Amino acid sequence: MNTMEKLAILTEGAKYDVSCSSSGVNKKNNGGLGNAKSFGICHSWSADGRCVSLLKILLTNYCIYNCSYCVNRNHNDIPRASFTAKEVADITIQFYRRNYIEGLFLSSAIEHSPNHTMEKIWQTLDILRNEYHFHGYIHVKIIPGADPRIIHKTGLLADRVSINIEQPTEQSLKLLAPQKSLQSMFTPMAEINHRITQNSEDKKKYRGIPKYVPAGQSTQMIVGASDDTDLTILKATETLYDRFNLKRVYFSAYIPVNEGPNLPALASMPPLQREHRLYQADWLLRFYNFKADEIVNTQFPRLDTDFDPKIAWALRNIHLFPLEINKASYEELLRIPGIGVKSALRIVRQRRFAPISYDNLSKFGLVLKRAKFFLTCQGRYYGGISIDTSLIRQALTPQPQPLQLTLF
Amino acid sequence: MDYLYDSTFDGLLTCIYYSYYEDKAKGIYPQDYYQCSLVNSSRIIVTDPILSSRVYEAIAKKISSQALKQAYYVFLSNHPRKENIILKYLQLGFKLGRKIDNLHTHLDVLPVYQTARKVSFEVHRFYGLLRFAESNNFLYASLKPDHNILIILAEHFVDRLAQNNFIIHDQKRNIAIIHDKQEWYLTDFNAPENISISEEENFYQELWIRYFTHISIESRTNKRLQNQFVPHRYRNHLVEFKKSFLTNLSS
Ligand code: SF4
Repeated sequence: MNTMEKLAILTEGAKYDVSCSSSGVNKKNNGGLGNAKSFGICHSWSADGRCVSLLKILLTNYCIYNCSYCVNRNHNDIPRASFTAKEVADITIQFYRRNYIEGLFLSSAIEHSPNHTMEKIWQTLDILRNEYHFHGYIHVKIIPGADPRIIHKTGLLADRVSINIEQPTEQSLKLLAPQKSLQSMFTPMAEINHRITQNSEDKKKYRGIPKYVPAGQSTQMIVGASDDTDLTILKATETLYDRFNLKRVYFSAYIPVNEGPNLPALASMPPLQREHRLYQADWLLRFYNFKADEIVNTQFPRLDTDFDPKIAWALRNIHLFPLEINKASYEELLRIPGIGVKSALRIVRQRRFAPISYDNLSKFGLVLKRAKFFLTCQGRYYGGISIDTSLIRQALTPQPQPLQLTLF
Repeated sequence: MDYLYDSTFDGLLTCIYYSYYEDKAKGIYPQDYYQCSLVNSSRIIVTDPILSSRVYEAIAKKISSQALKQAYYVFLSNHPRKENIILKYLQLGFKLGRKIDNLHTHLDVLPVYQTARKVSFEVHRFYGLLRFAESNNFLYASLKPDHNILIILAEHFVDRLAQNNFIIHDQKRNIAIIHDKQEWYLTDFNAPENISISEEENFYQELWIRYFTHISIESRTNKRLQNQFVPHRYRNHLVEFKKSFLTNLSS
């Protein structure tokens, strides 16, 4: 099989992994090829509107496992291929030189055994880093069950590593991926987290310590393959952040690729709206000091489809509003729908010099048509309706657009 | 008094020097495009690197390094009145010092931030959208940016592609960054008529297009989103759009 055909197969198999960002680490080129920018760079956008930043491929799609939600599972009759470590390294370098990509995201199914596959992933990185002196961004999959020593030497060459837990609970895993268990994934995650922490302590003490996974670990959960609620998913997300210091938790709307008794029907649509709401909720966890059970709780275990989770939260807690722009603390400002981290910071900085008037507010980059219902400015309320959940809810509901008649 | 300058950043800073130590400048204009008027008197300023570097340092010390960067980015922009925006901004800056960094909404500051943001947005976009093709041991990339951003791109790619010789060609302004044997410079440039593409180059372009088409998930197709991120005016320079479009037509 030639490289073209392999690439097609091994790209197909990798595309459902959604984490593709290259951000999180700044590295200068050090006498070789490449560097890394902490802000992340998109090199193109594919037809599904997603950013193409990394060469995202599988080393192999031969798999000894049979996870029911996965295209590459053992029982599926699909074209299979494996790259050699050198093939992946060469393509990476040639794509990188042409500025097609920011780096490599190497994932893999499990061929022969976890150790065999993990070793081959390491080998690819060894060629890239030590033979080709490549300093660009590299994200690799860690194969649970592989020897910790192989994982460790891989971590010394990668910028980011990830283990996808895919399901938020042990029950769902049992049902859909019986060869896996949360515990078997948490063990390496904890180990890697421990090494990362130790590495950053060591770096403070000694010079010239090699970096270990400088951009941290991430994971992914498939949404909609099992019937776990958003509450379960967000609770798991929060735990993952707290317990393993993950940099990111990604969500991937399940795209029905297989038939199975415990799976949604093949014809069902991927829950894209739900995935979108989960990302918004995740954003609240990471940057807005929200706790998972403020966003969803046993009474409301699912995210609101009509409103983003911050508005939904504000509408449930209307008694906390309105907040005065010139007095509210930074944390409080962040709770106002329509105000983001940047605008909150600007407001706090500016009001030290002079009180902020309503006319000036729009210059701070906030979304006034949402925010105005939840704030006062110099004591005045500009919402135009009384502060009442159902009235505001109605005012914020997008009106159906009347059909525009066109002359053409 | 209107000051006329030679369209270089040094020239602009020289104007600002004279505006402080001699006649106050009412406006600064590129000498080549200036329309003489009966109302305003004008003066042609000869760029003086010693004076301009004094102003440069004064901005960094008395105002802030951020202000210097902002002013420089505005200078690289295609804003028709950029010189006067910079002039007003620096005048205010010399009055207020570092405090100006917090006054985003001030009438003399806002246009600076807005314009500089457009420039850095475009720079950031081309960090990703620039495409090199290998030809005779050189990597060649061309672009037609709205703003004059080559110099900023140079820093990024010189570090990244250190061991490679490359040319980044601004086809709108007929200038290029040339990186040759560890050195780089900005120069006037006209592209050679046809750039020969090796078989290997062709192979990697095809491979990239293959990758690009297969990475997309059909059930999530969203061309509108794609159009929003990759405006059509950039697509001529992107192999994955140019070539796949051609193959689509022929098949
Ligand atoms: S181990 Fe990975 S590649 Fe193999 S079936 Fe499970 S999810 Fe798919």
